[in-house]
Amino acid sequence: MKPLNLIALLLFLGGAVWALTRSDRTVREIQNAYYSAMSPFLKSGSKMETHARAFLKETRHSKDLETELEVTHEQLGRLRIIASRLHALETENEELRRALNFKKIAPFDVIAARVIRRNPTTWWQTLEIDAGSKQGIRSHFAVLSNDGVVGMIDRIDNGGERSSVLLLTDEKCLVSARVDGSPEVGILSGQRGGFDGVPVLRLKFLSSNAAVRPGQRVFTTGRGGIFQANILLGTIDAVEKGALDSEAVVRPSVNFADLGAVFVILSPDS
Amino acid sequence: MFRYSLITLLLLLTAFVVQQFLPAFTGIHDSRILIVQLVFLCSAVTVGHRTMLLLAFIGGFCWDAQCALGPHGGDPEVYTQQVESLRFGYSILLFGAMGVLMQGIQPLFKQGKWQFSALLSGIAVLLYLATEYAIINFVRGNFVLSKATVYQIVFTSLLTMLFSPLIFWLLFRIAEACDHSINPEAGRRRRHAY
Repeated sequence: MKPLNLIALLLFLGGAVWALTRSDRTVREIQNAYYSAMSPFLKSGSKMETHARAFLKETRHSKDLETELEVTHEQLGRLRIIASRLHALETENEELRRALNFKKIAPFDVIAARVIRRNPTTWWQTLEIDAGSKQGIRSHFAVLSNDGVVGMIDRIDNGGERSSVLLLTDEKCLVSARVDGSPEVGILSGQRGGFDGVPVLRLKFLSSNAAVRPGQRVFTTGRGGIFQANILLGTIDAVEKGALDSEAVVRPSVNFADLGAVFVILSPDS
Repeated sequence: MFRYSLITLLLLLTAFVVQQFLPAFTGIHDSRILIVQLVFLCSAVTVGHRTMLLLAFIGGFCWDAQCALGPHGGDPEVYTQQVESLRFGYSILLFGAMGVLMQGIQPLFKQGKWQFSALLSGIAVLLYLATEYAIINFVRGNFVLSKATVYQIVFTSLLTMLFSPLIFWLLFRIAEACDHSINPEAGRRRRHAY
């Protein structure tokens, strides 16, 4: 090997070792610098995408839109009836609470955000939303959809207008979970790698003789400082009993392939 | 030579921007075109050893800056068994290994047989993804390989490989514009034939 090539190889290995030994904080700083440089391209790219989507939407057949409008009207009427019923129940609940001197559960504030794009990674399950620190979002805030838990905030862009969400389907997103109608609690997480159709989650550390069965719903416990209590995570599909503990295979309640809008809980913990 | 190397570096950085807008094909097991890896692999076969290492370092470094995840951040009393992430910087070594693999058939490329390099770029992407997945499993401490994962790796490699002639065409045009020959032996043979 030529001496210059050898020096280049040594420099390369030295650089790799330097990168491998960076702390989490330095990595975050590097990432922020990277996304700051990328930001103008991402912004113009999403603007173009929005224009293209708007154009495609406009060119949709009017018949489809009419049908959609009719369905929406029907749903609106139904929801109005439900809302008035709920309002009555809320008032009744409030009166009963007052009568019993019950402690009111602290409500949490949420803000809506639009999913801009999926991050271009093969194994890591993340997506980007159009809300950041300017809207009060911080790292590790919980992200929900109408159907349940979506994930948590992993990174916020320097500009404060975007954030990256680590999805529940990634194995790094751990959630303290409980099985509805059972005393069983465990840690729910996804698994990296391909999956056929709907991704599956695994509820680990259940007791070896856990009395759980397929069809039972799984909710957050509220412990751990990230996710609020009693938010739906999914439904048990199968239970795998082990000698020391059991695991449940959970089908997530959220359709991760079709996420348009999400909600970020602004208070990190209930 | 210097101008060509500089432009390949810029091409690699451009690939990072393009990659942001390439979606996964949900109908083909969430496969995607890995344009960054492809540009690096095709460039690696056209440049010298030192430039290849520079491209591998920048490529791997930026790839990890794009993908690295932060710490979980929950209460350690509840989340006692945190999931270990891959260390920032591991892609630099993977890119380097792929580059060395590509340079192994550089003599064939210099003879003008770029088709072998195109084929090898697909194999290199396959090995890259398989190694990355193996490392993820190793760090997790539990090896799981589903059929869907195998399909995802294979189809991603195939899709990426399909675009390699386009990248080679681009590199030939760049070399021409820089007045630099990336396959000198083929050029000599052509001149000899005339």
